[in-house]
Amino acid sequence: MRLLSALLLSIPLLAQAPPATPPAPATAAAPAVAATTPAAPITPSTEDWLTGSIDLGYRFASVGGSNDDYRSVVNLGSGPRVFGLDFTIIDPMKRLFDRLDVRAYNWGGDPYNTVHVHASKRGLYDFNFDYRDIAYFNFLPSYADPLLGSGIVLDEDSYNTRRRMSDFQLDLLPGSRIMPYLAYGRDSGQGTGITTFETGNNEYPVSDNMFDKTDNYRAGVHLEFNRWHVTLEQGGTTLREDQDAYLSGFNAGNNTAPYFGQQLDLTGLTQAYGISGNSIYSKGLFTASPFSWIDLYGQFLYSRPETNVSYNQLNYGSFVVLSSLLFYTGEQALEYAETKEPHTTGSFGFELRPWQRVRVIESLMTDRLHTAAAGLLTDLILSPSSVAQTTPLPLSSQLVMNYNQEQIDVQLDVTRKLMLRGGYRYVWGDAEAPAALIAGVGLESSELRQNVGLAGVTYRVTRKLSANLDFEAASTSHAYFRTSLYNYQKMRARARYQVTAKLALQASFSLLDNQNPSPGINYDFLSRQNSLSVSWIPGKRVSVLGEYTRSTLRSDINYLEPELLIPELSLYRDDAHTASALVDLALPRYSGLAPRLAFGGSLFISSGSRPTSYYQPLARLSIPLHKNLSWNSEYRFYGYGETFYQYEGFRTHILQTGIKLSR
Amino acid sequence: MLSSPQVVVAVVFLGWLCWPAGAQAPAPAAPAAPAASDYAGSEVCGTCHEDIYNAFQQNPHKLVDTQKRRGFEGKACESCHGPGGKHAGSADKKDILNPAHMPPGEAARDCLKCHLNQPTHIGRIQSSHAKNEVGCTACHAIHRNGPNGLVPRKMAAINEQCASCHTAVWAEFQRPYKHRLPESAMSCVDCHNPHGSILSVSRQTYAANEPGCFRCHGNLRGPFTFEHAPIRLEGCGACHEPHGSANPRMLIRAEVRYMCLECHANLPTGAPTGSALIKNPPALGGVPPAFHDLLSPQFQNCTVCHMKIHGSYVSQNLLK
Repeated sequence: MRLLSALLLSIPLLAQAPPATPPAPATAAAPAVAATTPAAPITPSTEDWLTGSIDLGYRFASVGGSNDDYRSVVNLGSGPRVFGLDFTIIDPMKRLFDRLDVRAYNWGGDPYNTVHVHASKRGLYDFNFDYRDIAYFNFLPSYADPLLGSGIVLDEDSYNTRRRMSDFQLDLLPGSRIMPYLAYGRDSGQGTGITTFETGNNEYPVSDNMFDKTDNYRAGVHLEFNRWHVTLEQGGTTLREDQDAYLSGFNAGNNTAPYFGQQLDLTGLTQAYGISGNSIYSKGLFTASPFSWIDLYGQFLYSRPETNVSYNQLNYGSFVVLSSLLFYTGEQALEYAETKEPHTTGSFGFELRPWQRVRVIESLMTDRLHTAAAGLLTDLILSPSSVAQTTPLPLSSQLVMNYNQEQIDVQLDVTRKLMLRGGYRYVWGDAEAPAALIAGVGLESSELRQNVGLAGVTYRVTRKLSANLDFEAASTSHAYFRTSLYNYQKMRARARYQVTAKLALQASFSLLDNQNPSPGINYDFLSRQNSLSVSWIPGKRVSVLGEYTRSTLRSDINYLEPELLIPELSLYRDDAHTASALVDLALPRYSGLAPRLAFGGSLFISSGSRPTSYYQPLARLSIPLHKNLSWNSEYRFYGYGETFYQYEGFRTHILQTGIKLSR
Repeated sequence: MLSSPQVVVAVVFLGWLCWPAGAQAPAPAAPAAPAASDYAGSEVCGTCHEDIYNAFQQNPHKLVDTQKRRGFEGKACESCHGPGGKHAGSADKKDILNPAHMPPGEAARDCLKCHLNQPTHIGRIQSSHAKNEVGCTACHAIHRNGPNGLVPRKMAAINEQCASCHTAVWAEFQRPYKHRLPESAMSCVDCHNPHGSILSVSRQTYAANEPGCFRCHGNLRGPFTFEHAPIRLEGCGACHEPHGSANPRMLIRAEVRYMCLECHANLPTGAPTGSALIKNPPALGGVPPAFHDLLSPQFQNCTVCHMKIHGSYVSQNLLK
């Protein structure tokens, strides 16, 4: 239906009449002898008023192994498809638009549908529309299946949803000094899933429906002058989110062992969230270059999102309140709560060029957020052995974050080929967050204090060979979390070498070494990535692209085993090889037409905490049938396997074939 | 007091600092005004560079030819390449500036003659692209045809362009659990602003100052009655590897319980008498109560019970 709508929508656009009189052909002007002598005008190229292509065909998919896992990772199905549609209309009469570009991909049942429309009229407007519809399916028993040992294969945190995103933006008077703009965006999600309902010492997998949508409205103006610029924007969002979980029938839950001789179960549930929210936000940006040796910039951002929630829960079955050993048969909970989150961000900086070879860049940034929530939860417990108990529970919560950062960088052009960089960053802040779980108090407060040294070098040996290196090292006295960046060194290096006109090499290396030696934490984290890529084009008929990346990650950190508070060590390892290649061949020509064959693909193999292999070889064949018509086919294989969870592996063959018509 | 040799060294050093490195272009400023006779005009350029000239007619920079405010009316080519009168006479490439052959930093300064005071420049000063002297022309093809012709607009083309330098990042997208970039349903610029951003690693913002993740994940934005602090304090990357992972849900650990317990392993230090505020514990996040028997499958994935892990409207412990 959507495909049909898209095609119908495009018909009026295609129906725009071609120019009655094509533009005059280009006329070569005489070479200019005197610079000030105006030359004969050269007219624009005689482009077609309509150019574009449509690529449609059929896809065959054969899935072996776990179809659920295939859908969670790839999710391409069989059937007729419009793989791509794009066209451009250039109106030489410049009536409604100078130019209109439309692109649409993967329509007709694919999990990723996109449309983009761009229309513009020079000096008057610039319009963009973007639409995406992405299917999210996730059902991985290895992720959340406490009952797997009982032979029940279920992901208790799974979903089958679609997210749709639409964005419109209209910029008026582009290129002028004052440019207003208007924009609207909608992000919505809808679908079903399985979630758990937790109550009374057990949790029960139940079905749920999800729906949410966020509308975003904004308008602003850019003021652009030679020496300064200001952007002012005012916007707002509205949120609506409804989620409901339900059950009718017996559900034993994950904890099937009787509790004091009594079986715990759930026999009926309705649970509904009604969430509405809104936000206003303001944005002010400025840049200025009052003198040739200094640039200034700054921004002020403010938002104030707030939400209201109405929660309703009614459940029947057999439950227990652990703290009082009260067995009960029903519960009704009602809640209303309101939350506000004013959030202010500001930054200011400048680039100073005191001398030709030196640039000094200074920046200050602050980010302040304060969440405050209040509400009332009323819980009614129904027990056959006692009178109903109603517990009104006032709810309140807060979260405070104050983040600040100051950074100074100095860049020195030692020679035309060599640039050195050095700098210093100081990060400080504080936070207050609800104390979690056992802590038993209201709030925890923590601080952030981090000193970071920065260094770098860019060296362009020749136009064909260049290298870049960045390094930073930090010393931290306070961080928010055990796994936060603490005392760390970070390095990134990249080199590019154009060996010959046909051969180019690029290598990169990155490293992050983070350590927190605090007693009881002893965090030791090291990750490395090395990659090499090659581009080789030995002739007009052949091109070869190849990339290889080796990445390793090691993480060791102490944690407390909750039952007995015994210190344990959490280890995580990931040692991965990733390679991809594509060979593109021009096959022998026939009737002036050039067929092409491409093959390659990618592979990913990892060992460590979750050994995984994922292969995606492919081959493509394009056979031109006419100047504007080609027959395209693609074969792709998806092979996925996990050593620890072999039941989640899949092997899928996909063949898609179709025609591409272009104009 | 400085001795004479020190003064000499200081003077020499200052002189060296002031002297341009090679043929470095002057710092960006308002367009300079060479003599009018030094210019040839765009149409003269087009007599020899006809292909470029024709393509340029649909190019956004064509505006330079028609707008007085830029100071290069009828001289769009020379707004980047410098006065071309001499080159038009000699046809010698030495007589014309070619930004493609200039060091990227210098070429960028050429672009900034006009693009300095624009919104994109806000983040540029702090972006790693600018610091590493990744020139504008590394991504923008200045002569290309079409209103959007300066830079790829198709998602696949954007990703291909970014991946041509960020090969290790693109390799992460070859992992099974990732955002849908290889399928061309998303592009790198959906999450990153290549010109720079107020957020780290040039992440996009949404609704003024919120992380760009909420543009698509609006249902996780809140504000929640009960927040999960890491999301606000450190962002989604505290638990997720957005480029791709071998772990389901793009998590940074193979098993959920370890990811949670690595943070939730702090014994309560106790609040000062009469206070409900614990100041400066070793780290935020308490330890779970003792009934969490990790040997039982029931407790091996925390999010089975704490399913509102991104924040809850109802439960302090993120259970509902």
